[in-house]
Amino acid sequence: MNNKRLIAQLKKVSSVPVPERKEEFFRTLAQQGLLRRQSVVMNHGEFLAGQLCYIEKWIWLLSGLLLLFIVWLCSRNPGSHPFALTPLLAAGVLLETERSRRFRMAELEYAARFSLRSIVFARMFLVGLMDTAGLLIVVAWVRSYFPYHLLRVFLYMMVPYLTASFLGSVYERKMRTDAGFGSLAICILSSAVFAAAPFVFRQLYEESLTAAWAAAFLLLTVSLGVSVRDHMHEMEEPVWN
Amino acid sequence: MELKADRLTKQYKNKIAVDRMSFSLTEGVTGLLGANGAGKTTLMRLLSGILLPTCGSVSWNGMDVGAEEYRDVLGYLPQHFGYYPEFSGRDFLLYMAAAKGIPKREAVQKAEELAELVGLKDAARKKVRTYSGGMKQRLGIAQALLNDPQVLIMDEPTAGLDPQERIRFRELIAGLGQDRIVLLSTHIVSDLEPIADRLMIMKEGRLLWQGRWAAGNEDLESFYMSVIGGEQTTV
Repeated sequence: MNNKRLIAQLKKVSSVPVPERKEEFFRTLAQQGLLRRQSVVMNHGEFLAGQLCYIEKWIWLLSGLLLLFIVWLCSRNPGSHPFALTPLLAAGVLLETERSRRFRMAELEYAARFSLRSIVFARMFLVGLMDTAGLLIVVAWVRSYFPYHLLRVFLYMMVPYLTASFLGSVYERKMRTDAGFGSLAICILSSAVFAAAPFVFRQLYEESLTAAWAAAFLLLTVSLGVSVRDHMHEMEEPVWN
Repeated sequence: MELKADRLTKQYKNKIAVDRMSFSLTEGVTGLLGANGAGKTTLMRLLSGILLPTCGSVSWNGMDVGAEEYRDVLGYLPQHFGYYPEFSGRDFLLYMAAAKGIPKREAVQKAEELAELVGLKDAARKKVRTYSGGMKQRLGIAQALLNDPQVLIMDEPTAGLDPQERIRFRELIAGLGQDRIVLLSTHIVSDLEPIADRLMIMKEGRLLWQGRWAAGNEDLESFYMSVIGGEQTTV
């Protein structure tokens, strides 16, 4: 058998099939490449922890001072109602929430892997969690200064805080520009309303209204949750639209 | 590697900013030209996945650009961007690296390399608020490169750069365009002439001309003016 015939025979028995689904193959390769990239990308927990150091220091400082001031007021005037100060604590969450927009970082952040939504949610979560933890510590600390059950002290602390957080959150969603001063004004206004309320409505802190406080707490918690969810959803079509 | 737009449209109330644009981008530098208000920024935002199209679609290798995976391979420089006032140049890069999901150790190394690449090594620890316009722009370019992007979209990247910085930027982009998709918009035609493999010309939200532009007797400026003036037909 000469070489030509041998080659022809070999071709016949071992012909190479025409490639099928070539594009799909290349796409899969690209996706496998992406999977390799993802393995070196930080996970959500690491991202959340990393965001802690990017929250403005003055927010931690002011929150700490405010909580200490509440404790000091309670110890100086047992039986007083320093609960109206907690809306001021909400200012930290609200200012952090709209910081990207205030400093025109939103567009850059939106194009990143942990996009604007993740960044805003992380800040909101971290400051909100720290505020809640701080308030719980304060409640446990000052309960002996009040003739109330621990639950009532908790409700009186949390309801004004949640009111300001909820109203501020709705305001920031509606505003298309810098909402910083507006949010701050809402916190101050909420604080003033809760400070004036016991003078207008003297039964406000009576035991008979505990159920109403609990209902307000639940309602505000749910409303705030819905508002935050909507806020995150609306970031699909960001402000520069 | 392919970034594909199919009948891409974006409408704001009664204004159509991008009107049924279809094209496909592959490796190389593509220049997007158009007058102010032509829809370049809207198109770039659509291609970056940060704006949702009114209709039509954008896909990268068959994958929707809204996917998280796309943002892994995307480098984006918006026309205008800010910074947190407490940030130094290095802090800014590390912050953006964290947002891009790059682990800290790798981010530190990348930030140093890129600060050097864009000529900000000595100024990296200075506050961004003390930077000149050109330095801020170079910082923006550096952040876009942090994740070694496969798709690099830059909106008016040469704005604010002095002539020397422009030359340096062109060299950088020409190098990057060899193995990735680079799309940059400008209304300064001379910025594109030496580096763009491909051109797209927009007017009033529509793609007037796209294709490879080969320097012949006509310079790019004259060619662009003839397209905008309607003397050249759409490709």
